[in-house]
Amino acid sequence: MEENNTIWIEKYRPVRLADIVGQNEIIERLESYVRNGNLPHLLFTGSAGVGKTTAAVSLAREFFGESWHMNFRELNASDERGIDVVRNQIKQFARTSPLGGATFKVLFLDEADALTNDAQAALRRTMESYAQTCRFILSCNYSSKIIDPIQSRCAIYRFKPLGKAAISEEIQKIANIEGVAVTEDAINAIVYVAQGDMRKAINALQGAAIISPSITGQMVYAITATARPDEIDQLLDLSLAGDFEAAENALSQLLHERGIAPNELLNQCYRTLLNRPIDPMLKVSLIDHIGEIDFRISEGADSDIQMEALIAKFVMTSTKKHL
Amino acid sequence: MDWTEKYRPSHLADIVGNGTAVHQMLDWARGWKRGTKPLILYGKPGIGKTSAAYALANDMQWEAMELNASDTRTKAIIERVAGAGSTSGSLTGAARRLVVLDEADNLQGTADKGGAKAILDIIRDARQPIILIANDLYGLASDLRAACDPVQFKALPARSLIPHLKYICSVEKVQCNDQALKDIADNSAGDMRAAVTTLYAASIGKQRIEEPDIRTSMKDGRASIFQLIPAVFGRCAGAELVRMSYEVDDKPDAIEQWIEANLASLKGPEATAQAYRYLSRADEYIGNTNRRQYFMLWRYATVTMLLGTNVASGGHGIHERISSPRRWQRMASSKRQKGIRTALLGKLGGLIHMPQQTVRDGYLNLLSILAEKDPLFFARELDLDADQLGLLIHDRAKAITIAKALAVERREEDKREKIKAQKKTAPEQKIKPAPAVTPARVKAGVLETVLPDEPGSPPPPQQEKQQKAGGRQSTLF
Repeated sequence: MEENNTIWIEKYRPVRLADIVGQNEIIERLESYVRNGNLPHLLFTGSAGVGKTTAAVSLAREFFGESWHMNFRELNASDERGIDVVRNQIKQFARTSPLGGATFKVLFLDEADALTNDAQAALRRTMESYAQTCRFILSCNYSSKIIDPIQSRCAIYRFKPLGKAAISEEIQKIANIEGVAVTEDAINAIVYVAQGDMRKAINALQGAAIISPSITGQMVYAITATARPDEIDQLLDLSLAGDFEAAENALSQLLHERGIAPNELLNQCYRTLLNRPIDPMLKVSLIDHIGEIDFRISEGADSDIQMEALIAKFVMTSTKKHL
Repeated sequence: MDWTEKYRPSHLADIVGNGTAVHQMLDWARGWKRGTKPLILYGKPGIGKTSAAYALANDMQWEAMELNASDTRTKAIIERVAGAGSTSGSLTGAARRLVVLDEADNLQGTADKGGAKAILDIIRDARQPIILIANDLYGLASDLRAACDPVQFKALPARSLIPHLKYICSVEKVQCNDQALKDIADNSAGDMRAAVTTLYAASIGKQRIEEPDIRTSMKDGRASIFQLIPAVFGRCAGAELVRMSYEVDDKPDAIEQWIEANLASLKGPEATAQAYRYLSRADEYIGNTNRRQYFMLWRYATVTMLLGTNVASGGHGIHERISSPRRWQRMASSKRQKGIRTALLGKLGGLIHMPQQTVRDGYLNLLSILAEKDPLFFARELDLDADQLGLLIHDRAKAITIAKALAVERREEDKREKIKAQKKTAPEQKIKPAPAVTPARVKAGVLETVLPDEPGSPPPPQQEKQQKAGGRQSTLF
């Protein structure tokens, strides 16, 4: 069964622009570039797993048809981030003429925010000097890490984190093709775990599908080592009610029996608190405590002690009212 | 074809805005002769610096030659390309050849070894006009800056972008409604290239452009901070504030500055103190993020400063104009101060063979007192400009006078050198005895070789010579 060895995020990576979900406005504009055979320099920004790379590759495929491999080049700036890449590799690709009747080539620079400032500075005039033969597509997580002169040369497309509808639709589709059954509870779990990241969602689905062909929410949380939202709620409720012992038990359950990493637990507590309708001043204090613990653990402090200290701090904060 | 290239102005008259700068360039070009200082055009991206340089060459019917950061710019390469361009005549018979050194503030330390020095050498020896282009004037080495005349290009006001955008629309036969044009202009923050790029990206495959069409392809950030800041001081749910801050796409440290700039709108000292407590907490997170490169901490900075300030404001909102961070202006000027200080300490350190730090901690006062006694000597010996001398002797007005006097002195010296050089080329044997005299004079402590018996050039002022000798002694201790 070779089929089972393929990784689903590659197997189900959209091939055509039209197959990319959740970014309708952007896709509509990109398709219009294809129809008109014209393309400005582009800058794609957005968090991971929202379709930036897929959009760039599909765009090239539709733009050049058969000859797309010859006229499209993908470079990951995280691997080669110095100025020499721009002066040698990029310039070399950009200056040679396009093949197979295309009017220009496309260079896709993934994770361009990893380029050093020197390299970015070198890139700016290259983009103009060779605009006749080569268009650039840059992708990044934060556009603020791209120097202004480059932003000024690009049309900027901001990819949004994917909504619940987009993710659940895609998951349902893949589950149908793969012949696995997913409950609604499981879909909700996948959406919660993914946080708008399609790659994470598909990974969670494939992970759970390996265990069993009928997937439940429980399995999704287990395979991704994530606490269920109600478990987080319970932990917060207990500590904010001032019941240290019960809260400590809940914490120990999550950390030691469920094997959830302290980082992940902090992450989930943060998200839950941020969206909880509680007194704003209390909210800031609680999140500040989480931040402090996060920092200490990252500095090498003992995570068990720090997590318990956090719960204790929560208990104190809630009883004393703020601070 | 890309519209930014297609509609790049080819004449100075077509450059939008920056009239003063354009006139300054034109005057410079018309009056250009050997020895005229090169220009540095500086200002934000996308406001016409490079275009203006090429338009100038075009208007003057000069050839233009460019060297930018995408080329390797080591000393050898700059000398070969720009040096040849600037000292030899033009090939095509154009009157002159304009050398454009784009991105002059981006000479790369190791990759462009000797680049800055090479530019300086070429500038001093140029036989053709040179224009340098930079975003940050103070990103250039101070001696390079001093060797050029600065021309500032200012960001274009939004309304001045619109006519140009309208013109492009009419040529391209695209209908774009006024609001959409205004949105493009407002969002470009004075950057014409960004505005044209946005229009171009929105227009492909469309005849009519309306506001929603441009929303996907606008220049990022900048504008939406003006939505975030009022929300922080107004009534807005915490989670919503955090979401907005992600959309603004300014980094937390920038948002922090914006919030601080607007804290004056809080009511009463308690509120201000509370806001500062949260802001300083956020600042700790930002500091730790940067120090540890642990970016997870960013979100705590975001929450503490946004939600904290929101709590402190009590939702009263901002009633005045939103202020931009003053600290940035201060930082720009302190960056300049720092540059001057470093250059001065470096030169003093060279004089007394000590690292800059040691000079600053233990010897600056002494040197300062000595320099106050004999500023001209110090200025001459260490090649100080007015800023550096002013810092040393704590007297700006005097420093400026002395720097001017020194410049006059230098020019005369140059003249003498030239006459000497001319003489040398003609009857070489006749001056033979002169070298025998020169080494002796050098030993006596006079650095420049002056031939007192040289006819045609005025003898150097006696008084200065004495000053010089005196000054020399005082630093030999």
